[in-house]
Amino acid sequence: MTARTRILSAIRTALGPGKPPAQIAAEAAALLDPADIARPRLAAPSLPDAFAQKATALGTSIDRVASLADVPRAMARYLDAHGLPPRFAMQPAPDLAALDWQGLAPHPGLAPDEPAALGLALHGIAESGSLVIHSGPENPILMAFLPLHHVVLLREATLLPYLEDYAARLSAETVPRNAILITGPSGTTDIEGSYVRGAHGPGFLHVILIAEPG
Amino acid sequence: MSALPDFKNRARAALADPVLKVAIDRTTGNAERKRAAAVAAFPEFEAARARGKAIKDHVTAHIDHYLEQFERNATARGAQVHWAADDAEARAIVTRICLAADAKLVTRAKSMLGEEIGLPHALADAGIERVETDLAEHIIQLAGEAPSHIIWPAMHRTREQVAELFKAGHQPPPAAEDPATMVQSARRVLRQKFLSADIGISGANFLVADTGATCTVTNEGNAELTTTPPRIHIVTAGIEKLVPSTAHAFALLRLLVRSATGGEMTQYTTFHAGPRRPGDADGPEEMHIVLVDNGRSRMLANEFREMLRCIRCGACMNHCVVYRQIGGHAYGGTYPGPMGSVLTPVLDGLAASRDLPNACTMNGRCAEVCPVGIPLPTLLRAWRRRSWREGLEPGSLRAGIGIWAQLARRPRLYRLATRIGLPLMRLFGKGGWIARLPLAGGWTAHRDLPRPAARSFMDQYRARQKGRK
Repeated sequence: MTARTRILSAIRTALGPGKPPAQIAAEAAALLDPADIARPRLAAPSLPDAFAQKATALGTSIDRVASLADVPRAMARYLDAHGLPPRFAMQPAPDLAALDWQGLAPHPGLAPDEPAALGLALHGIAESGSLVIHSGPENPILMAFLPLHHVVLLREATLLPYLEDYAARLSAETVPRNAILITGPSGTTDIEGSYVRGAHGPGFLHVILIAEPG
Repeated sequence: MSALPDFKNRARAALADPVLKVAIDRTTGNAERKRAAAVAAFPEFEAARARGKAIKDHVTAHIDHYLEQFERNATARGAQVHWAADDAEARAIVTRICLAADAKLVTRAKSMLGEEIGLPHALADAGIERVETDLAEHIIQLAGEAPSHIIWPAMHRTREQVAELFKAGHQPPPAAEDPATMVQSARRVLRQKFLSADIGISGANFLVADTGATCTVTNEGNAELTTTPPRIHIVTAGIEKLVPSTAHAFALLRLLVRSATGGEMTQYTTFHAGPRRPGDADGPEEMHIVLVDNGRSRMLANEFREMLRCIRCGACMNHCVVYRQIGGHAYGGTYPGPMGSVLTPVLDGLAASRDLPNACTMNGRCAEVCPVGIPLPTLLRAWRRRSWREGLEPGSLRAGIGIWAQLARRPRLYRLATRIGLPLMRLFGKGGWIARLPLAGGWTAHRDLPRPAARSFMDQYRARQKGRK
């Protein structure tokens, strides 16, 4: 008898006869309803403000700009402010490649100790100040973990109020290999509870929040 | 990992270690304050907790359905699903995958299940280099120790002790002994390992049935660096980690993070669904998921079923007066504190671990803070009852309780005995406390007994009633 058979038969002996799958699914859905009674309120009435408040509280810095065209200047500002060279790794996304990077030198590769990288978030979640990225041909996951400075573009139009709103989006499309919610820079409290940034991933997380609809 | 029978000796050694007490107090004290603040800032916490409990109970009641659904969906995403009835089977599966891939170097993201099934030893026995990537796990790997807490595995180590370990274990050694410099040093050392590992092994906080994804949460980002670069990703997970959907995982995550660290979300919440897809920029070529039972299906059928709700937040140990005195290693099992005292007898047998449920003071704080409402004191009492029924309690204790039970059934005799006993007991008291009492050395060796009142409650009550008339 395989381990699978042994485990499932031990479970079925303990639980007795099961219910029809449709009934189980209905019960599972009912457990989350109504959603509002068991989750926190948003930090501010507007999604961009709520997102910005939560993200900032967690150590993420935010630069709010009007349009995608403002991104190269915002990136130059950030690199300057942190004394970083104008060279940085950039996610191979057409939206980013199409921008005018005059004076800056984005490159597609990613060194193990890359100082800075620029990527694009799929969504922001206002409840928690989280950024969402999905793996794919245009998004190497290591882009979000190897650099010391991770700069992320986020369009206000893609903001979602709650974690459940993102879960609903996810269930409506093909599940990506990796779906990652990033909520602040990498940190640890493993040495006597002292908070230290940049444990393994980025020590700095910077969001360029774009007001213009996508 | 098995609990050694000399809990009392380990507890005595821990109580005599002043450095350990400082280290534990700093971390658990912080955790307690931060959790309280996080719960106070979330007025919906009670409703969220009721929901979390209901979700876990629902999954437990239909776990066969969800296991099959998860397997179907994970397989559809290209993952290979394995089943292990016990720890030996789980070790064998993981080792077999590593050897078949001719793996020399394996990176591992913190996983208590990995500790439970004895994975570190199994990999060493197979001649495979294992590198722990969670900072705390890296510290205890350098020290050659096991975790002492499920959230802060190295909380028993002070900053000075970590500095010594890094000085000896890092090339080049860290330039200074402050936490920031030491963390930078570990970042440098571990980065080379992340990128040259053949296999990455992680645990899972959740197994999402309707997507077939596994979910890990970390604050450091080591899980993603462990699972993305190597050719193979292996997940080991207990079957109780199932949730119906991503939304259910989020409902539990709100409870888990607040209860564990006092945060609202971990920095990284990652869902892994299968290996690299055509065109993907990075990611492993193979993903294996090992579903581990190891006593869990047995718990479905007995009085410990509610323990399957546990989401491994560690709040019960942070708030436990016993844990905070003796630390995690004294418990001797994989899981310490109140949740560990319920789980260790399941995993290692009651005969080897009957001291753990007995060490509980029944103050109930663990149940108060448990985010999924596990009645830990009730479950610990259930182990005490079993220990009694199975004759595991020592003869002297059985005799003493037997005499007391005989007395308790005869109220007049009982009152007479207390009238004689109380003044005798008071003779051994100094100040308000009794430090040593004949025939009660088992109690007074480890703590003082409050000096009793001169007259019993019944005598005092009767006297008051008379006075009123």
